[in-house]
Amino acid sequence: MRYDSITEAIGNTPLVRIDPSVHGLGSIDLYAKLEMLNPFGSVKDRPAWYMARPHLEEAAGGDGTVVELSSGNTAKALALLAGLHGLRFKSVTNRMRVPEIKELLLLLGAEIEELPGQSECLDPTDTDDPLTRFHQALSEPGSTYLHTDQYFNPRNVAAHAEGTGPEIVKDLDGRVPDWFIACVGTAGSSTGVARALREHDPRVRVLGLVADKSDFIPGIRTIDEVHQVGLFDPATYDSIAPVTSQEAIDGMVTLIRRCGLLSGPTGGAAYQGAVRHLAAVDAELAGTGRRRTAVFIVCDRAESYLSYVRQRRPELLGRARRGHSAATLTDSEVRAQARVVDVDDARRWLAESDTPPLVVDLRGPHAYAALHIEGSMNIVDEVFEELVRTGLPFSKRTPVLLACPVGEKSLRYAALLTRMGHPDVRSLAGGIVAWRDAGAPLVRE
Amino acid sequence: MKDAPLYLRPRVDPPLASLLRDVPFLHSLVDALGSPLNVLLPEVVAENAERFRSVYRRHHLAGRVYFAHKANRSSALVRRLAACDPAAVGIDVASLEELRHALSCGFTGDRVMATGPKDREFLWLAARVGATVNLDSTGELEQLARLVREHGLGRVNVLARLSEFESDAGHGGAGTRVLSRRSRFGTPVAAAEELWTALERHQDTVELTGLAYHLDTTGLEEKARALERCVLMMDECRARGLAPRAVDIGGGFGVGYVADAGEWERWTTALSEAVLGVRPALTWRGHGYGLRNEGGTVRGAAALYPAHRPVAGPGYLDRLLSRPGPVLGRPPATLLLEHLNDLYVEPGRALVDQCGLSLVRVLDVRPTGDDPTRHLVRLGMNAGDVSLEEHGVLVDPVLLPRGGPRDDPAGDGPVGVHLVGNLCLEADLITRRLVYLPGLPRAGDVLAFVNTAGYAMDFHAHHAQRQPVARTVAVSSAGDAWRWCPDEDYWPLTHPQGVPA
Repeated sequence: MRYDSITEAIGNTPLVRIDPSVHGLGSIDLYAKLEMLNPFGSVKDRPAWYMARPHLEEAAGGDGTVVELSSGNTAKALALLAGLHGLRFKSVTNRMRVPEIKELLLLLGAEIEELPGQSECLDPTDTDDPLTRFHQALSEPGSTYLHTDQYFNPRNVAAHAEGTGPEIVKDLDGRVPDWFIACVGTAGSSTGVARALREHDPRVRVLGLVADKSDFIPGIRTIDEVHQVGLFDPATYDSIAPVTSQEAIDGMVTLIRRCGLLSGPTGGAAYQGAVRHLAAVDAELAGTGRRRTAVFIVCDRAESYLSYVRQRRPELLGRARRGHSAATLTDSEVRAQARVVDVDDARRWLAESDTPPLVVDLRGPHAYAALHIEGSMNIVDEVFEELVRTGLPFSKRTPVLLACPVGEKSLRYAALLTRMGHPDVRSLAGGIVAWRDAGAPLVRE
Repeated sequence: MKDAPLYLRPRVDPPLASLLRDVPFLHSLVDALGSPLNVLLPEVVAENAERFRSVYRRHHLAGRVYFAHKANRSSALVRRLAACDPAAVGIDVASLEELRHALSCGFTGDRVMATGPKDREFLWLAARVGATVNLDSTGELEQLARLVREHGLGRVNVLARLSEFESDAGHGGAGTRVLSRRSRFGTPVAAAEELWTALERHQDTVELTGLAYHLDTTGLEEKARALERCVLMMDECRARGLAPRAVDIGGGFGVGYVADAGEWERWTTALSEAVLGVRPALTWRGHGYGLRNEGGTVRGAAALYPAHRPVAGPGYLDRLLSRPGPVLGRPPATLLLEHLNDLYVEPGRALVDQCGLSLVRVLDVRPTGDDPTRHLVRLGMNAGDVSLEEHGVLVDPVLLPRGGPRDDPAGDGPVGVHLVGNLCLEADLITRRLVYLPGLPRAGDVLAFVNTAGYAMDFHAHHAQRQPVARTVAVSSAGDAWRWCPDEDYWPLTHPQGVPA
């Protein structure tokens, strides 16, 4: 297919049936609307383009900045759209909670501003939240901000009412699904799709999924947070149910490993919430011969959420590391195998020996630059850990004095290197701190 | 139908919990000393200091824990802390009188840190006794240097308090800008050059022993950035020939007031719903604690302290020290250690966690006019005596019935009450929140507000309408009984009332 602009590739995403042997619902056809296949990677491509288009066409090539409260996919799409039109993009957010997304946004050229945390010593008369101040800044005279306002902008809803919703109906041969399941973030997709479906057939039932209150799922708000969304209207939903991050990851893993859908946790939450809710419906349908149809949205892809998964389910990313590692030594092995040398003996060793040791300082580069033992070499502990696995830059014949802040890490590495066959590796007892406290000389870079 | 009770029951740890179970003892205290009455457990403050110290030990860090005296005026707490290891525990004073009080309680000058706005008298005494002066500005440094010269005082140890880390572009690398609330204290990082120059000029009168900051936020990210920046600035100072040793990261470690996360979540959700009008008000006259309803959408931010905090106090410090730094990637504890820096902290609220109770007599109970299931409970105190609400802290008091637990003949069970104070003033509500108690209190019962020692005990107490101000007593456990004495008579001795014959 040939396009003049990538924006023409937004929308018309596939609707894919989930194999019933995966979800186990005997009387329900469950379909995934693959919004992750939009060109910028998520369901937000549609509203971002809908909301930004009027601003962008007006301001293209000027010195304006598109600004939005977003820490995720909306920011991603807007950053790309702004760049495409020669404008800047600024994201203002409470907290960037997924580090990969933060780095991705920086790669896309976005400017990120993180709002301050809650006051510890609270002034109850100060009820102006940071967002109020954000809005004040936007409306200052002379402001060149183009605010897309995704939580209140009706064009967010329209993008789905005119796009996503009708596409679903078309792909189901003009029929409306019996159930539509969506995660509620800005409420744009759920409200827009629900509106389009109900216009065709008001009998459609809409399930809104929110994040469990103490939990965090990217792109989904908690029940309290949805009340702060201008587009959110409880009447849109026949029911609202919470999902947890664990359920989101379960669903994500099922979609990835069983269905060939490279979904992120938000899509996983929609799948898991859908199956959980529809199981009861399915039980009632059993034996009646009636069939029902349900659709959920796969919002975005998995790759940006590896740290999110690592934090919550490290075993999913677990694989044994090969080679030597200080972590494999027990405390008693460390004590038995490590050689230590105190500050006085170390100074004598350095000054008087025919073969003075190579001093390896395991601290960070800034600390090393600020103060270190003269003639020492800086190999940061993280790098050293890598080197013991892949190969050390000194011979086994070289005597080595290892130094860290207090002599704890160096002790472990001294034990490990001894075990690896280095005959004379010693740890500086008490570390650089003891060295300083003994009045031994330290030099600056 | 009555609403399900929306409790916010307090977190009560062992020593305080067993004191609360001794209802006759607490009643006898209120009978003898009047309502309201503040009760302190000085042993607990020492245990808390030890918990902070154990975080230091885990990270191999040296340096003192300074108690922010402003959190509580008590002598017993300060004297108990003075008895702790001098190398481990100090005190942070913010006024001339706090300094005098700390000295009179047994702190030697070298364990004292003088912070906040300072007048000449405060500076003179701090310099005279060898306290460390936490410098607010270059102007204050000039004033101090003048005093030292004019009065022939010895060289004074100073910390440089820094602020406005967010506008600091010099050491970016984290890629994003983290905004912080503007502070009225400290020297902006961007203007630090002027301060360093002044410190060099005044080397005969002051010695820079460290850098300091305090950010009023619960956010770890903001604090981690400031900490990282301070570590780098310490090296810059050393490169110019100054010799700072410590980074003072201030306080703000927090306290968890409400025990159960579920109760806190249910209540805050209900507040949003009440503001939207989909459930009855939870508060006096529908107060929204900063939330407002704009066309069916909740706007504004709830001006509430996060009353349930799974990580607070020493645990929060540990979390801050352990997380990878935003720019350099190494955890702050590692950075501090590698750069050979000591760590100072100045906890107030967190150090007096679980150290005290505020007791109050129930004076009158009557149904509210509009709703017979809800009651007005008038207390022998006013909002100034327990200033939890003033600090945005929402937590239930514990009902201590007179004569011990009693059968509830009416069998009413949980009941929603409005706690009102003893002032002739519409606004004198102990809390604007409708408080649920397990049963309807009666006149003569006592309510115990738990965990008030941090900022909520005497911070806002006043003599308006000549109502009595609470007395304060120190309580210690003596086997299976409790011993008490007036706060001003407490000394950290093994046998406070004399050695048994």
